[in-house]
Amino acid sequence: MSDAIRSELLKLRTTRTFLGIVIATLAFVALITGAQAAADTFDEGAIPGIDLLDVAGLAQPFALVLGLLAVSTEFRHGTITPTLLATPDRRRLMIAKVSAHVGAGVILGVVAYALAAVLMAVILPIRDISTGITLGEGLEQVAGGIVCIALLAAIGVGVGAVVRNQVGAVIGGLAWMFMIEPLLTVIPTVGGWIEDYGPGGAITAVTNSSFGGGADISQLAGGLLLLGYAVLLAIAGAALLRRRDISA
Amino acid sequence: MPAIEVNGLSKRFGATLAVDDLSFSVEAGKIVGFLGPNGAGKTTTLRALLGLIRPTAGSATIEGRSYDELNDPTATVGAVLDGGMFHPGRSGRNHLRVIALAAGVDVTRVDELLELVSLSDSAKRRAGGYSLGMRQRLGLAAALLGDPRVLVLDEPANGLDPQGIRWLRDFLRSLAAEGRAILVSSHVLSEVAQTVDEVVVIHRGRSIEQAPIGELLAGRGGGVRVAGPDVSRLAELLRGENAEVTAGDNGAIVVADRSGEQVGALIASHGVHISELAPAGQTLEEVFFELTSDDDAETAA
Repeated sequence: MSDAIRSELLKLRTTRTFLGIVIATLAFVALITGAQAAADTFDEGAIPGIDLLDVAGLAQPFALVLGLLAVSTEFRHGTITPTLLATPDRRRLMIAKVSAHVGAGVILGVVAYALAAVLMAVILPIRDISTGITLGEGLEQVAGGIVCIALLAAIGVGVGAVVRNQVGAVIGGLAWMFMIEPLLTVIPTVGGWIEDYGPGGAITAVTNSSFGGGADISQLAGGLLLLGYAVLLAIAGAALLRRRDISA
Repeated sequence: MPAIEVNGLSKRFGATLAVDDLSFSVEAGKIVGFLGPNGAGKTTTLRALLGLIRPTAGSATIEGRSYDELNDPTATVGAVLDGGMFHPGRSGRNHLRVIALAAGVDVTRVDELLELVSLSDSAKRRAGGYSLGMRQRLGLAAALLGDPRVLVLDEPANGLDPQGIRWLRDFLRSLAAEGRAILVSSHVLSEVAQTVDEVVVIHRGRSIEQAPIGELLAGRGGGVRVAGPDVSRLAELLRGENAEVTAGDNGAIVVADRSGEQVGALIASHGVHISELAPAGQTLEEVFFELTSDDDAETAA
């Protein structure tokens, strides 16, 4: 098993994709955290520390895309064939890919939150603004955020294995996150359930984010729910890799 | 036990029967050419053998096991399938390292193989910039990582220049001499004719013939074509020995039932003056076309 994971980690290190995604994430986080820390007047009731740390949540769609590319890129370039020849057990391959991408997601999350925290710690004192949070509250926010980013990478791996087509997986995944799920929440009765327990609801809960009116479930429950989605999608992806013919 | 055994293999894609009750085998130490026109079902058969396509019926096994039952697949069988199979942004060396890690093969073997396929100089460049010949050699290196006993190559000569084809031929010969079984597909007979010991000819997913390459020609015309100033005298001498001699093109004669060596011996012993002596009748290429052309009955069915 560790051989397969090490192979997947080497794949991530030997193309420019992961590096590009880290750089793009950091650029967005730097720009927005920097601008907000430097210019936001922070209305009464706002908690500057939470608002600024939340900017690192921008890494979420980037982590999702990284995961979506994991299997779909192998189909695009036909590398799925040598990959499966070396690791014929599809379940093993999915576990290795999910593990490696969870690791990559943790790295992405850590650097994104570290950058947001550093910018906040440097800029806010200059303007004589208090973060309004304790270290413990900050760490809770960061931990939830990093778990969320790592699990989104895992979810992406599963979706990519189900969809296989690279462009379809990326567009479909992002469309679900930013358009389809928010639209579904508008449906009467069902919409409320999706808002609380859909992947978006789980993200809101695990990140402790107040975006979209806050979550109905606890941070831990949100994390477990997101983990559940990741596991289900990985199982579906492995099952379909077994059933479908590989002619890429 | 044969190194490769395909037994009653069928594969249906929707309405198309890509492989239809196909059976053949490959013994260790032999190079078998897997021949057929494009779309005959060659790639589907090879992918079924490698556990990438699920057969509709029948089986395809390596050393008696299906691919996913192999204890150490990379050490048992190596494969080069059509085209790329690599990420254009990853260097050739890293491509091999990725596979070596997953297969549990020592990474020092990567550099040995890069040397063997003459890719050491380009090993650290991104593979997207490789020429077709370099890609084929990178694929071969990947297939050989686990030092496998069986090799499966799908159209390895595709896009190679004559030098590359010659290199490949010698390379495959040396691998077979080490006792490996090699199954090599091609739609161009001439690419493999000089390399293979046996051929399996398939057409429309069915096996038409499996035979040693020499036997494929036997009983299909053949003979020797002779031309030169004294051919009429040679013809008389041959008829005197009850040989079957017919008139060929441009005043040449064709001897149907004598080998080139036998005719040559007669020429030497009688001091006959001739200018040309060559195998005649159906070439291997013609046999291949005849085997794989559609007759009307089949088309109507």
